[in-house]
Amino acid sequence: MRWRDWLPLQHPPGIGVRLIAFNRLRLLAAFAGIGVAVAVMFVEFGLLMGILNSQSLMATLVRGELVVVNEARTNLHKWDSMNRIRLNQIAADPDVERVIPVYLGNMGLRDPATNSVRRILVVAFPSGELPFAIGDPDAVARALRSPNTVLFDRLSRPIYPDIVADGEAELNGLSYRVAGYVDLGPDIIHDGAIVMSDASWFQRNPNARPIMGVIRLAEGADTDAVRERLIAALPDDVSFFTPEELRQREFDFTLRSAPIGILFGIGMLAGLVIGSITCYQILFNEIVDRLKQYATLKAMGFSEVFLRGIIIEQALLLACGGFLGGLIFAWGSYIYIADRTALAVTLSVPSVLLIFFMAAGMSVVAALIALRRVVTADPAELY
Amino acid sequence: MARMDSSSKSSADIAVVASDVDYAYGTDANPKPILRSVDLTLARGEFVILTGPSGAGKTTLMTLIGALRSVQKGSIKVLGTELARLPAAGQRDVRRRIGFIFQDHNLFDALTAFQTLRLAMELAEKRPSYDEALSRAGDLMAALGMEKHLHARPGELSTGQKQRVAIARALINDPSLILADEPTASLDQGSAGAVIDIIRDRIVRAGAAALMVTHDTRLFSVADRVVRMEDGRVVEPS
Repeated sequence: MRWRDWLPLQHPPGIGVRLIAFNRLRLLAAFAGIGVAVAVMFVEFGLLMGILNSQSLMATLVRGELVVVNEARTNLHKWDSMNRIRLNQIAADPDVERVIPVYLGNMGLRDPATNSVRRILVVAFPSGELPFAIGDPDAVARALRSPNTVLFDRLSRPIYPDIVADGEAELNGLSYRVAGYVDLGPDIIHDGAIVMSDASWFQRNPNARPIMGVIRLAEGADTDAVRERLIAALPDDVSFFTPEELRQREFDFTLRSAPIGILFGIGMLAGLVIGSITCYQILFNEIVDRLKQYATLKAMGFSEVFLRGIIIEQALLLACGGFLGGLIFAWGSYIYIADRTALAVTLSVPSVLLIFFMAAGMSVVAALIALRRVVTADPAELY
Repeated sequence: MARMDSSSKSSADIAVVASDVDYAYGTDANPKPILRSVDLTLARGEFVILTGPSGAGKTTLMTLIGALRSVQKGSIKVLGTELARLPAAGQRDVRRRIGFIFQDHNLFDALTAFQTLRLAMELAEKRPSYDEALSRAGDLMAALGMEKHLHARPGELSTGQKQRVAIARALINDPSLILADEPTASLDQGSAGAVIDIIRDRIVRAGAAALMVTHDTRLFSVADRVVRMEDGRVVEPS
């Protein structure tokens, strides 16, 4: 006696699962076919989210309740600076605890071994304040207190020379001490970053103006109320966002300005179509191979709803098996892509759920098309 | 063997009454008549064999009585339900009370004999427990000489054994009407005898009626009546 005999046939694992699982080799081939489609969807979606997340990384890492930027700065990679006085005006609000100016720029990092120079993003801010969640605030503050000291972003793409802590780095022909590391991460435009104090930045750029300001509010302050007050009090040459709003704006801008949404969307659609066709073909063959048996069930008095249930059950099994296979493949692919591109390509619970429901939906749609064949099974033809 | 006369039965004792049944294939413009004014009555507890040459309309009559086709003209009353103009759900309800035995076994290759019978048992009004299902399936399979094959899949069985599983599937819910098409064609004489005995037992024990299409004249002697059809008409009710 096998354990499956104890399970009711009309409930999972019901007759549908038993039928499709009977031919193991065929089932594995079906899983593989659908798994490839699922993996394509995962990879396309992962790349899209990786680009979007990387482009909006700075907003995600903000340590504050509000961010102020130049009104003309339509995205984080457009460096319209602000008048420094605006930050002072913001700081005058009683509910604003601190406003941290952030300066951005580019410098050339020389590789002493090859003498080649590579562009690197510079993020500067007051040494005592850490506007982004990129490391331990106290350690960063201690490190940046010394002049001409930088911290290297260890998530930078591996195109830069080996940067050793307590070593030296040559930036724009000047020598800086590398005090340690931070974790920021590259995006599509920048391969890597260094962090320095605003004092060090001013030494090279005495007229530098802040690109953004991170606003920290007093405990218990109402963010919306403060923002309303600031908007009313300041000229309209600055805009205020919560970090989440800024991130969403960056997402929207990237999707709007570059065709990546369409490109990766088509990639995902291709996966969806391939998966649907594969699933349909498998289910159709299953039905055709057993048409007389289905007709017999109809003759016995089983309803079409019951027969449809068998096919839907099979479709869901295919979706689950294919999804698991695709997920494992995608997991490996994500590790490889993240390693090679340093983009923020990660498997998140929402993305896994999204792809799962897409795979399930794809299989059910394929089943709904395929089961039109089972409805045609005519029991009268059995005699 | 006691022969029964269905004409003397009350309506409650009648399993099937077909009156003036016509049936045609093809289109309205170009009909190909298969049944012409067929009358047939089958009493509960009666075992009737339907015979005749190919194309006589036996199979069409069987499918009409089995609610597998819709009645075009005339009246067919099966187990108290008029089939003419009966909607699909009603036809399905009638079919659940009929045990169908086809020439082919039509078993799912993935299901054991027990699972096949248990699936059929799920059509019953009261679904049996696993133990009850196992007991009933075991008893029926034993009666068919198949007790050793209760947990065998079709791939492990001979053609005759598969046919006996199909027959068990048709009988497991104690149907009130058994419709069989050459059920013993793939069986040896001993197995065929066992199958006929089982069908007879159902007729006697449960008061079922059985209508069997067969060309096997050896079986004529075990029937209560042999009805002969030719060219869409009942020509020889015995």
